[in-house]
Amino acid sequence: MRFIDWLDERLAIRQLIRIMMTEYYVPKNINFLWSFGVLIVLMLVILIISGLFLLMYYKPDANLAFDSVNKTIMMDVAFGWIFRHVHAVGASIMFLVLFIHMARGIYYGSYKPPREIVWITGYILFILMSATAFTGYLLPWGQMSYWAAQTITTLFEKIPVIGPDLVIWIRGHFIVEDPTLTRFFALHVVFLPLLLIVFTAIHLYAVRIVGSNNEDGEPIPKEEKKKKGIPFWPVFMAKEFFVMTVFLTFFFFLVFFHYEFAMDPINFIPADKLQTPPHIYPEWYFLAFYEVLRGFFFSQNLGLIAFVLSMFIAMFLPWLDRSPIVSGKHRPLFQIAFWIFVIDFVFLTVLGKLPPTGLYAWLGLIGSIVFFGFFLSLPIISKIERKQLERGGDKQ
Amino acid sequence: MKELKILAVLVVIVLVGYIGIEPYAKHVMHGTIPPPDFSYLDLPKFEPVGDPKKGRELFKANCSSCHSLKADGIEAGMDKKTAELSFHVVPPDLSNVATIIESHFLANFIRDPQTATKNPKFAMPPMGYLTNDQIGNIIAYLKSTAKKELTGKEILHDACTRCHSVKYQKIPAETSQEHLKIYLGKIPPDLSLMGRAKEHEYLITFINNPQVLLPGTTMPRLGLTKEATETLVAYLDKIADPYKEQRKKIGIWVLIYMFIGVVLTYAWKRKIWKNIH
Amino acid sequence: MENEERMEENSQGMSRRDFLLYAMGAWATVGVGYTLYAMYKTWEPLPEVLAQATVKFDLAQVKPGELKVISWRGKPIFILHKTQDMAQCPERTIAGKYTVVIGVCTHLGCIPNWEADRKIWHCPCHGGEYDACGINIFGPPPRPLDIPPFKLEGTVIVLGEEGPEYKKMIS
Repeated sequence: MRFIDWLDERLAIRQLIRIMMTEYYVPKNINFLWSFGVLIVLMLVILIISGLFLLMYYKPDANLAFDSVNKTIMMDVAFGWIFRHVHAVGASIMFLVLFIHMARGIYYGSYKPPREIVWITGYILFILMSATAFTGYLLPWGQMSYWAAQTITTLFEKIPVIGPDLVIWIRGHFIVEDPTLTRFFALHVVFLPLLLIVFTAIHLYAVRIVGSNNEDGEPIPKEEKKKKGIPFWPVFMAKEFFVMTVFLTFFFFLVFFHYEFAMDPINFIPADKLQTPPHIYPEWYFLAFYEVLRGFFFSQNLGLIAFVLSMFIAMFLPWLDRSPIVSGKHRPLFQIAFWIFVIDFVFLTVLGKLPPTGLYAWLGLIGSIVFFGFFLSLPIISKIERKQLERGGDKQ
Repeated sequence: MKELKILAVLVVIVLVGYIGIEPYAKHVMHGTIPPPDFSYLDLPKFEPVGDPKKGRELFKANCSSCHSLKADGIEAGMDKKTAELSFHVVPPDLSNVATIIESHFLANFIRDPQTATKNPKFAMPPMGYLTNDQIGNIIAYLKSTAKKELTGKEILHDACTRCHSVKYQKIPAETSQEHLKIYLGKIPPDLSLMGRAKEHEYLITFINNPQVLLPGTTMPRLGLTKEATETLVAYLDKIADPYKEQRKKIGIWVLIYMFIGVVLTYAWKRKIWKNIH
Repeated sequence: MENEERMEENSQGMSRRDFLLYAMGAWATVGVGYTLYAMYKTWEPLPEVLAQATVKFDLAQVKPGELKVISWRGKPIFILHKTQDMAQCPERTIAGKYTVVIGVCTHLGCIPNWEADRKIWHCPCHGGEYDACGINIFGPPPRPLDIPPFKLEGTVIVLGEEGPEYKKMIS
């Protein structure tokens, strides 16, 4: 008790706890989907810790990388295999949690004023996480690692004028080779994680300032916070802990019993520069975007533009959707568009893994158009809703 | 209730996606793996019977210039280096060959190795001049010297490591890389992690008949028996994934631990939220 | 903690230090404990390192008056076949004629050099000197060069295992 007082005089921890925990109010009308933000932080911590232990034995060298992962870490280091399984499955599940977190944000309109910064920093975090996953995937130097890096870096070749030189610059070699591995390694273990931490801090700060959104999208003025909200600690966290343990149970089930989806068998074959595996595909979380790239099968350039657009278009949601109604719960038209988009995203993800031939190619094209259709429909839906509001006058 | 509904929607979406990208896509990409055929009945029927004693003499006259049979103290006429220079592959010791290779296949193989292995460049010359009786005698002899029970590692040594290395078990390929390149056109893959890179069923069928799964491959059909193939693949699985048992055991404990956590956190949540609504 | 009282005002559920919170704490501690144990285990030397823990060496290959240096657990081991003109010390001599010592100065861990003309080891760092028995005769070293644990199998010495000769020598 004395020590707490001593600390309080110097760091004002009581006040800090009050502001951050016991008197930080979260709206009452939110469901467990709002817990996914904390799950992302949890996954990030798990990834950083497991990654740190992998780093202690990993060797970033084209001749040594494969064996350092598959022999040293997987067979020689005591419990090394657990750290690798946790890291590989963790990266995969991180994207599942991210997608759910983002879908919740879209459905309940969490990107609308005044939360634009929350949305944009969050989206930057998604892009950074994608870059981290992509650079990390090369490190085991297996067949899938190698050919994923080879094909994705080749995409830059299509950029007019500078393309071909840029590809060689990115790789540090004419093909993906040792210099590519070492620079991806540096990005994966230092640069990108640092950026992730910085942007996470900004993201959380922004959430504290504007407050969490809620199911009905209703703004909660300061005076009503106590009445309409629940304190972050212990009430919100009590639920959060429960969601966390359920989630971790699922996660560890995957880690120990069902990890193949995150550790492709083909990646247990060392990288071979002279032989592409019969089927190559990205990890599942990139499949939808990859399918957009392949979807415009008749024009490579169009595909590439569509691919880049698909990765970034969601960042502009606050300006595409200007309807005054915040939450999708009260927007029937938006709901239709949203669910079509979700189904389309799953559809594209599945197609992304199938060979792009015959019927699949055409389905890919349709799916890609629907993908963009969702974003382009938002300004129209906004307009219709605005008119309805003006006519009806019954505000939310 | 409302939250359970949301959870149900999530579960359905994740499951549909999962089934699409894992079982379904794999099925489209790889098709179903055809079952192995251990009868080798595409080759002419041949029930080898004979006399081991006569077989021994025939072996010495026809086989031992290249092959040793250490179980019976027979050394090969040429050493490994010379054999490698002339055949680009080291000939195997035949002590246990009759246990791991199906005898009907073995008989056909001696007569015409290229047809039996489905590899037109297979190194052993055809012994078509031997009569059926002579081949029967040789096989009877090979059967008499062979150990009846072989471990996966022994089968690996007799059947695979002349061309394949198994780096993580510190087993190099017996034939040098430069000769393997001449013989097979490329260096055959290392087998250390094959058990993880390929499915169990794939390996069984592939060893049974490589051309079915990889048309044009220079890997010969070896004519292994069902038991030998299964023991071998079980061994490959084990060396590729040595912690399988530990993983299951730890996994179950972790899940039990997590389940306790779920119960505790749920109880606490109930308690805190009792008066909130 | 006092702020728990504050919590009481905020939420009705959380009044006394409750049992569930302790149970959850204990539960989490067990998980963290096992995780730390796994982390601890990952730092242990790998099998390939442990394989270097014992080294076999045939003493017969060292000619009289000659010094051989071999590596054991990453450290240099001096093996000197002694002659009559060198310092004598039966209690530190192995198999009647060999000095086998860890070639790391007992002062600050440098590796001494053999000076064949003076028949001593001279440490380049701070000038410590050891005679042919490995006993410190000059300078800062506090004690003689250490003798590695060994076992004799005929003329072959196994470094890293404690044989009866070694036990007698250190007792």
